[in-house]
Amino acid sequence: MIWMAIVGSAVATYLTRSLPLAVTLRGGLPPAARRYLEALPVAIIAALVGPAVLAPAGALTHGAEPVAAALVIATVAWRRSLLAGVIVGVVAVALLRLI
Amino acid sequence: MTFGVVARQSGLQPLEIVAMSLLVFAGASQFAMVRLFSESAPTLIVIASVLFINLRHALMAASLRSQLHGLPFFGRLLAACFLTDEAFAMATGHFRRGGRSLAYYFAFAISLYVLWNIATVGGILIGDAIGDPRRYGIDFAITATFLGIVVLAIRRRSDIVIAVVAALIAGGLALAGASTVAVITAGALAPLIAVFVRR
Repeated sequence: MIWMAIVGSAVATYLTRSLPLAVTLRGGLPPAARRYLEALPVAIIAALVGPAVLAPAGALTHGAEPVAAALVIATVAWRRSLLAGVIVGVVAVALLRLI
Repeated sequence: MTFGVVARQSGLQPLEIVAMSLLVFAGASQFAMVRLFSESAPTLIVIASVLFINLRHALMAASLRSQLHGLPFFGRLLAACFLTDEAFAMATGHFRRGGRSLAYYFAFAISLYVLWNIATVGGILIGDAIGDPRRYGIDFAITATFLGIVVLAIRRRSDIVIAVVAALIAGGLALAGASTVAVITAGALAPLIAVFVRR
């Protein structure tokens, strides 16, 4: 029962990952579709961030995550460094959660 | 690591937990599976939920198409095995900075696969001693990484609007209890802005 679900889920995850890469469309994409695909990465990554910042652990944030997120954005925009942003974010969220 | 701890505490056998990380290899889906198993959900519901949660990878794969175009068919199938949120985010950052090397994607994505599985075993073995990772803010590291990648990937004003809209839709849906569809919905809707607004 559990094993059937695990194998079935493995097939499901592999299909979502591979189908768009395996199937080749003929001809070029229309400009609207290209603009859509160009905007996809930023949208998906931002969509991954949204719940983690607004609803960590499934409930409305107490404020620590949005403030830490603002600090991360400011740090990365200023220093152009991912690592600096991550360090600031982790330290900030740990301190803010103590309050 | 957290996954190993959570799955073990829910009563799954170590072999089942390891198999999930090796075969399914999708964090959010694996957590959802643990919850569904503990509720004795039907097999088809489990598989459908996983499919739904992971539909976002289809969007990511679609967006990586042009970069992976140079690979032979088999290479693309192999690249697909290791596609994750993190690998996608790092590869996108790499390509947006002008990088062309596919070795970068494979090295990063396969390392993630190996680390995820080692961490799963670690979580099973010593998880109980770790306590709550939230206490040290470690859980926020991946969120901060994603935030930084978005900031560095901004090319034009519409990118900022799209990012904010996507984050708000996904966050709103998660708050409304629809966390399984939050990312796929927001990720699919927000880029429509780029279709209708130029620059």
